[in-house]
Amino acid sequence: MRLAAPAKVLLQRFAFLFLILAAFGIMLLSKSETIVVEKVSTVVVDVFAPIMDVLSRPAAAANDAVKTVRGLADLRDENIRLARENERLLVWQEAARRLASQNQALQSLLDFKPSPNSQSIATRVIADSGGAFVRSIVVNAGDRDGVRKGQAAVSGAGLAGRVTTAGYRSARILLITDINSRVPVLIESSRDRAILSGDNSGMPRLTFLPANASIKAGDRVITSGHGGVFPPGLQIGQVVPSGDGVMRVKPNVSFDQLEFVRLVDFAAVSPIVPQGEPAVPPKNAASR
Amino acid sequence: MTPTLSHRLDAVARNVVPAALGVFFVLISSIPFYIPGFGPVAPNFVLMAVFFWAVHRIDLFTSVTVFFIGLLLDILVGAPPGINAAVLVLVRTIAASQGKVFRGKSFLVLWWGFGLVALASGLVIWILTAIYHLTLINPLPIIFQMTMTIAAFPFLAWIFARTHQKLFQHV
Repeated sequence: MRLAAPAKVLLQRFAFLFLILAAFGIMLLSKSETIVVEKVSTVVVDVFAPIMDVLSRPAAAANDAVKTVRGLADLRDENIRLARENERLLVWQEAARRLASQNQALQSLLDFKPSPNSQSIATRVIADSGGAFVRSIVVNAGDRDGVRKGQAAVSGAGLAGRVTTAGYRSARILLITDINSRVPVLIESSRDRAILSGDNSGMPRLTFLPANASIKAGDRVITSGHGGVFPPGLQIGQVVPSGDGVMRVKPNVSFDQLEFVRLVDFAAVSPIVPQGEPAVPPKNAASR
Repeated sequence: MTPTLSHRLDAVARNVVPAALGVFFVLISSIPFYIPGFGPVAPNFVLMAVFFWAVHRIDLFTSVTVFFIGLLLDILVGAPPGINAAVLVLVRTIAASQGKVFRGKSFLVLWWGFGLVALASGLVIWILTAIYHLTLINPLPIIFQMTMTIAAFPFLAWIFARTHQKLFQHV
């Protein structure tokens, strides 16, 4: 269809205005009607998940190859390091055995019911946030594999994040470094409680620390289990003081190298409740 | 198949290449690269694609196409939906209106123009993200990202220019 030049210009102007308004409308909608927008996004990610799965494989393979070559180069050093570590670990093993048997004895004394084993799902990372202002990843497992909203994403070294939306074959995980992430934590040595607040930097901040908290660099930070999303005791990282008096945490997980994560359903694990008291409602209490 | 039909199919195939490249770069932007520190500052490939094609073949890159490419990018990387859609539509309009300035000039002029557009869109993305989250956000990542984007532009532009030449040399 041919249009007169002025009409065409007018149409283009209109299209431009309309699209800009539509973009702002979607932004507002995602703030107010979170669930609808989330559902649509989940479907879109699901549709593209198989393609991203294929596209992400060469990068993953290249990464593995680089790791292998690097590993070959310092095979000797690594061997020495592992031998030393092995020695150290044997001592720990001895200690663990002793503690395990002691624990068992004490448990039987208390008539303690152990919590059922949590189930975990191994997934591959198929997308990470390319944006400068988002810290989230997409994994290649979803509803059909048993992934549910709220599950904890754990990498070998510790807590990586939490499932925020689960599609049919893909799921998005909000990393603990994202600006929207809040995790109730505990300083392992001093037992001080705090909230680990992401700010899109590599090292999330410790907020709501008690005024008299005695924490120092290198203290280990673990999940406190408050709020019911994460179980208590998951490793997160170590305290690092930053210049402006803010305490930050260096996560154990190296997010650049995150290739596989385990999704663990801790909500299925019944919370340990003293007898006679009503059970706390599981999960859902968590805020985004 | 009649020659005319095959000819037309061929033309259609050529004409969807810019949009297809846009979608392809959206997917490239969202997959992990495993390079330490690269993720947050990875160049914005989609911005380069939109700018280049808006300058050279605006007719094949409608604002609706650009809008949906931006929305797809937002959704796949998990950004607030709408931000990249708005920015890319804006970039397309600016690039198209200044197309005459860039076409047929030396590459440096195009690069300079892209630099200005990239800086402006970085600023807009930063402001929109801050408003969206209602907090002040550290602008450093976006400054790094846009610097990387401007630095990577000649490379991508070269690929696009070759594609452009190959596809439309007879047109």
